[in-house]
Amino acid sequence: METKIKSGAFQKFAEACGSLMNSEIQAWLDQGGKVAGFFCSTVPEEILMAAGYLPFRMRGTGSTDTELADAYFSPINCSYPRHVMNQALKGEFKFLDALICVNACDHVRRIYDNWIRYAKGINGTTFETVMSLPRKWGDRQVDWYYDEINLLRENLAKHTGVEITDDKIKEAIKLNNQLRSLQKELYELRKKDNPPITGAEALVAVVAGTAMPKDRYIELLRQLIDDLKDAEGNDGYKARIMLVGGELDDPEYINIIEEQGGLVVTDSNCFGSRLFWVNVDEAESDPVRALAKYYVQDRPTCPRTYGSQPERMEFTRTLAREFNVDGIIGERLLYCDNWLVEHYMTKFDLKEHGGNMPFLALDREYILSGKGQIKTRVQAFLETMEL
Amino acid sequence: MPKLPKEILDKSLERFTVERDWFRENLEAARQMPGEEYELNAMMLDILLAAKQKVLDAAHNDEPFIGGYFCNAPELFTSMDLPWMMVLETPFLSASAPYVIDDIEGAEDMGLLGDMCTAIRLPIFYIENNMMPIPTCCLGLLYPCDGAPMLHQVLMHNSNWQNVPIYSCDPPYTSDERAVNYFADELREMTGFIAKHTGKKLEMDKLVEVCERSNEVYSVWQEYMECRRHKPCPHGWELGGAQCFAISQCFTVGDPKSVAWFRKLIEVAQNRIKAGKGAQDLPGWKEKCRIFWFDIMPYGWVFEFMPWLETELGVVLVNDMFGNYPYTLIDTSSEETIYHDLAKRNLVDAPMIRQARGTAENFVYDIQKNIKDFRVDCVIWPGHMGHKDGAATVGIMREACREMDVPFLHIGLDLFDKRYTSVDEVKDKVETFLRGHGLI
Ligand code: SF4
Ligand code: SF4
Repeated sequence: METKIKSGAFQKFAEACGSLMNSEIQAWLDQGGKVAGFFCSTVPEEILMAAGYLPFRMRGTGSTDTELADAYFSPINCSYPRHVMNQALKGEFKFLDALICVNACDHVRRIYDNWIRYAKGINGTTFETVMSLPRKWGDRQVDWYYDEINLLRENLAKHTGVEITDDKIKEAIKLNNQLRSLQKELYELRKKDNPPITGAEALVAVVAGTAMPKDRYIELLRQLIDDLKDAEGNDGYKARIMLVGGELDDPEYINIIEEQGGLVVTDSNCFGSRLFWVNVDEAESDPVRALAKYYVQDRPTCPRTYGSQPERMEFTRTLAREFNVDGIIGERLLYCDNWLVEHYMTKFDLKEHGGNMPFLALDREYILSGKGQIKTRVQAFLETMEL
Repeated sequence: MPKLPKEILDKSLERFTVERDWFRENLEAARQMPGEEYELNAMMLDILLAAKQKVLDAAHNDEPFIGGYFCNAPELFTSMDLPWMMVLETPFLSASAPYVIDDIEGAEDMGLLGDMCTAIRLPIFYIENNMMPIPTCCLGLLYPCDGAPMLHQVLMHNSNWQNVPIYSCDPPYTSDERAVNYFADELREMTGFIAKHTGKKLEMDKLVEVCERSNEVYSVWQEYMECRRHKPCPHGWELGGAQCFAISQCFTVGDPKSVAWFRKLIEVAQNRIKAGKGAQDLPGWKEKCRIFWFDIMPYGWVFEFMPWLETELGVVLVNDMFGNYPYTLIDTSSEETIYHDLAKRNLVDAPMIRQARGTAENFVYDIQKNIKDFRVDCVIWPGHMGHKDGAATVGIMREACREMDVPFLHIGLDLFDKRYTSVDEVKDKVETFLRGHGLI
């Protein structure tokens, strides 16, 4: 990916985002550290950190086809888990010691079942589990997830022999809160008329945060923010765009939008603002309760959380206003029912009660294909805004 | 809930009324026909029609009724004397109606594309176009698939339904005691919600009575399943199977008429077994192959496919996902045990939520158990385009069959829309598979 950013920190981030393995993970492993892969941002990374793991958010980066995974998944499955599974069947996750899944969506939750049967041996993971995340966000659901997190804590402690104390969890919460605050600070820079970082570059920076030791990431992110403060901004764009959607870890997709003149200035994505807009409550005396509350209730939700559509819509509206957005692109991986229906409602709300904010639903596959079609649709969308 | 304006009320009942009339005509026709099978059909249509009529009467008279999902423990609102319909029933009951393809196209025009489950986008289409009765309050369920919570969220979002209070039970991903107890608490809260919005109270002795009657229904169903084990199987795709599910928990629950239907079903099956008859009476017909159809039946084009399979190829559907029987009876000794067992029945036993929620263990277990219990020659996973968790379990299912030395076929189709994979293509796939394995 071409970039104007000179910062050395950004180069590190680009390396981490552009492949599964990177030099920071390698250094961690060389020091005897262990890595735990996890699916979906609702897995409490803080517990993995307290158990001594480096948490790694699962991606299929580098995958070119799904030939091996096709024996286990079908063409009507989202291409994200299919590519991740393909990488797993090729043994690309040998750097993992553990895999923590959650019943995120119908496609991703089956990774666990297929992994324990067909990919575990190939990659040599020694611990796998699937957490039961509620689909509502009431107090009973917080209690349920509280127990789930404690079970994970117990099982990981048994597995690793590490005592996972409250203090260690609190420390991990503090570190992750610092990380989140910095990511938010990075996003704040994008409110400028000429943001010093593009949407594609911001995605690189966020993805990198899920693939290296947190303290090292914090150090690099601070450096990047400092470097960007006086950097030349991006101008000459046709419109300021917000992205809304699910799993998107490929900056190339945003690049295509930006090449057409739509500068992506903010988002409500899974590798994006929803990860860090809110912090875990450090004042709560029981850190596990704080985590349960955070992952079930406090953080901006995704469509799998039933009953929270008005809040999601409000979150989108607030960000669109704060970042002075001209139009919203609803990105979706094909075969995703969650985001198809969510975008359907968003489009309606923006039209009926949103001051006619333009909205484009733009489907894609995990590995970018049909770039021409994406370009044409984005061009046409930008033209409607110019009118 | 405030009274609906007349034009909204009338429009919302239009389609439902057409369907009621259609079932009424069918019932009249079935009553005219000779033979035990028609008698059974008439008994079933009578049950279904009564359920529809109760909803229409309640809607017209401004009396409370429920919009439910499936696996909402209907014993609870039955004992509160509340009529109910299922928000999901419209696509299933009208699947072979002439307008269903137009409705699918209507959904597509709204942006609900062909990669989304048709069983979910059709009700969304009906809700958004005010083609479904608007209940006093609504009950949802947040599994078996991603489509379910999305459907419920559209319903909350729709302007005509915005005043309809909704409570959705959250089934956990696990199935152990902790999960069952959590789900029982969801059902308890749901009961309070129903009482609050309908003004009806739950009387314990009434609930006990309904649960006991529903236990009776499940007991006779279990007895019937013994008949289906017989070789040749006395009934094929047309009788028993998914009808058992419909009649035990979808349109009615703990209904003496259901008990009578099951008893008649057993009688008819036993008569056939005694006479050495299989699923068909055609001269020279023989049961050549027994299949387990591990999903919902292809209701949109069932009459173009299943009779062909059975009469021309001699392939008998000895069981399907909705005819599967894993039920435990409800212990009615206390409120505690009732809620616990209702939670178990609706979380762990009932089809779809049993397999599609949670890890793939139940897929494997049910396939292997059916192969053993029903002496199945092959397993067909139709692969409905909406069943995405199942689509990601295909390799696991294939391996479960391989372990039992039984061939497995994954088709890939839309249960409602024959344009997705044409009936000819499905027939071709199935026939090639069966011949290839020497099963016909
Ligand atoms: S959309 Fe929701 S369930 Fe899917 S990855 Fe994002 S947060 Fe997780
Ligand atoms: S994009 Fe949708 S289908 Fe794909 S992994 Fe995310 S939630 Fe699941």
